[in-house]
Amino acid sequence: MSISTSIWIWIAALLTLMIYSFLYKDNPFYRLAEHIFMGLSLGYTLVILWYDYIIPRIYQPLFFSPHQWSLIFPILLGMMTFGIFSKKYNWLIKYPLAFYVSAFAAIQIPVMLRSWILKQVEASFLTPDKFSSVFNSINAILIFVGLVTTLIYFYFSKKREHGFGAAATVGIVFIMVAFGAAFGYTVMARISLLIGRMQFLIQDWLGIM
Amino acid sequence: MIFFLIIGFSIVANDTPNDAGGSILITTYNIPEGTQKIELYRLAKGDTIYEEAGLIPPRGECEDVSVVDGVEYLYRVRAITEDTFYVAETKEFISSSPQWFNRTRITVLLFFILFGGVVLVYIELAKKNPKGLFIRKLPALDAIDEAVGRSTEMGKPVLFVPGLEGITDAGTLASITILEKVGKRVAEYGSRVIHPNFDPIVMTTAQETLKTAFSEAGRPDAFNKDDVFYLTYEQFGFAAGVDGIMLREKPGAIFLQGYFYAESLILAETGYSIGAIQIAGTNATTQLPFFVAACDYVLLGEEMFAASAYISREPRLLGSIKGSDLAKLAILCLIGAGVIFGTFAVIANNAGNPSYLGIFNRVLDFIARGNG
Amino acid sequence: MKKRVPLLITFITGFIVIVSFFVPHRPFGALETETLIWYSIILGFTLLIGVDSLVRLHTRQIRRKKKGWWYSIVFFAGFFYCLTIGIISLIRTPNPFQPGTVFFYGYETILIPLQSTMFALLAFFVASASYRAFRARNLDATLLLITAVIVMIGRVPAGHKLWTRLPGIANWVFDVLQMGPMRGIMIGVALGAVAMSLRLILGIERTYLS
Repeated sequence: MSISTSIWIWIAALLTLMIYSFLYKDNPFYRLAEHIFMGLSLGYTLVILWYDYIIPRIYQPLFFSPHQWSLIFPILLGMMTFGIFSKKYNWLIKYPLAFYVSAFAAIQIPVMLRSWILKQVEASFLTPDKFSSVFNSINAILIFVGLVTTLIYFYFSKKREHGFGAAATVGIVFIMVAFGAAFGYTVMARISLLIGRMQFLIQDWLGIM
Repeated sequence: MIFFLIIGFSIVANDTPNDAGGSILITTYNIPEGTQKIELYRLAKGDTIYEEAGLIPPRGECEDVSVVDGVEYLYRVRAITEDTFYVAETKEFISSSPQWFNRTRITVLLFFILFGGVVLVYIELAKKNPKGLFIRKLPALDAIDEAVGRSTEMGKPVLFVPGLEGITDAGTLASITILEKVGKRVAEYGSRVIHPNFDPIVMTTAQETLKTAFSEAGRPDAFNKDDVFYLTYEQFGFAAGVDGIMLREKPGAIFLQGYFYAESLILAETGYSIGAIQIAGTNATTQLPFFVAACDYVLLGEEMFAASAYISREPRLLGSIKGSDLAKLAILCLIGAGVIFGTFAVIANNAGNPSYLGIFNRVLDFIARGNG
Repeated sequence: MKKRVPLLITFITGFIVIVSFFVPHRPFGALETETLIWYSIILGFTLLIGVDSLVRLHTRQIRRKKKGWWYSIVFFAGFFYCLTIGIISLIRTPNPFQPGTVFFYGYETILIPLQSTMFALLAFFVASASYRAFRARNLDATLLLITAVIVMIGRVPAGHKLWTRLPGIANWVFDVLQMGPMRGIMIGVALGAVAMSLRLILGIERTYLS
């Protein structure tokens, strides 16, 4: 194998090195790559806007049968966001904002109740099968204690005194161990990302190996 | 060709439950061996000929969504094998209708009413009696003054990153509240706050919030709208941009507040490398470990949502925090009661009385139904 | 008009959307989907505000010849490059994101390496953060990083060579010790988010309308 002759591989390789140069310190190469990145992603956003929003969600439903005239309302609300370009009418943005934020908050309520709270509560119930052996029983109790003390740690409206304070301290110890486990679990995945980039530089670009 | 009405192969049609109407649920039983496809036919009351209504998937169940509410139908299915076909049909007319309540969501409704009720009651109680409302210390919020102060002393600006979600995210909304406090301190100390954005609406909201904060601090002219700008809608492009800002502007204090993804550690480590005081906070549970590892102070998950109450000390907000706490207590009690009752049920079951275990399992089923 | 109407919109929208979750009957049942469509249309408009902000920022840099202004020219070069190949692809094919289009190729060869390289920086940062396990900054971070090191080493072949039981311990830490606190955090975050959503719909939390 030999060094790549494709201009695109060269561009990709140089951009990769420019980004990595950031690890040393800020420098014109990193800044160059950063600004190319910004410019490209903004252009990309506009293409997505046209392809994913304007055509399928506005143009087609409005101008082709069956016409969905009700979409005029969100379009009007969307246009109201442009109020911020005017000093006099910048308050207009509050109308779409009110709809936008409230609709999402309301959609989120049942999702949170179902997938986060009820699911976790159900999983936390100690069923007989969780005590099938001594080892499993210890594990079940540890999980239970971890949950209880964590919830106590997140109790805001009571002073941390006596037993309650001690439980909260145990809670933070559990929380930190849990974070550590999640951290350690992620490391290999991150290293493999680096290996991927190195493979690109060594194999695809330099043609070594 | 001859066909067979075989014993066992049958079809049941019912109005699809918990829906908006326009759908009948078709279930077939004992599908003959070697069936290659199952054809569905439908006869509307008053008609004489069965019309085709599509195919039933191999598992034998489907919804006929081309029916009209109130019109009664009879159904017939043909299970076609390589050399013959078998027929089954319904004997009674069935019609579809919409329902006013989705029964599978009753557990969610119950939890919503209980939780919402407790929160609302405590908000009302807090309005009537604002004294005696307590909220524990949140060191990350107490450290705001110190961080902004130190940054100002060093003659460096403050960097505030509101995360990578839109204004609809609860974490972003909490970050706006924290920004208000940071903005006030920055204005009072005569410093500068840089606020790059991933979402344009968060940008406009942050501009308005900071403008108000600077005005309230008596320094409306010190606010520079250009310091609150849009960066990009691309995750790692945003990270590259913010890293660039960190290296060039060298902020003395960095606030990473909002919802973050994998870029959290890139930002936090770059911030660490330039020696800034870092106060992070996120409702993204997967990113919390990285912030804890690299930042000086962190608002862990729910602590972010308590920020507005902690900062403003407004009774209604404090009341809602109290309400949430009681919900936590209720959950703890529920799980605790489950442990005691479950243990008792198992002992009773081993002694020959399975009824308590049955109750325990029914309660579990009820909760499980909510997350289905 | 400027404050009350938005609060009214907030309340009515929130109330209707919550009801629509429990009531499948028309007109409520379809409202959630309809709301999401409205939401995405408004989102599209807001993106233009972002584009405007960034274009203005860089135009200003160039016009005022601020320090490093020529980077803004690089920004515009990238922007117009992506926009041009996007337009060419949109004219030529119905889907510019399909493999084989000029846009896909231009995006694949430049933007993706940039994204992957930024993402891969995490390998270095994970390493530098882990290194701090040996420097006691505070008790919490040290506890976190010691656990991280145990799990990290336990999950690689070297961990098994070091001590045969290490992989088992690492898995136990991840499966058991992590489970309880993570559940607690999730329940807490969800309760906090639901309470916040309620406050928002009721107009108690209104910083975003400032």
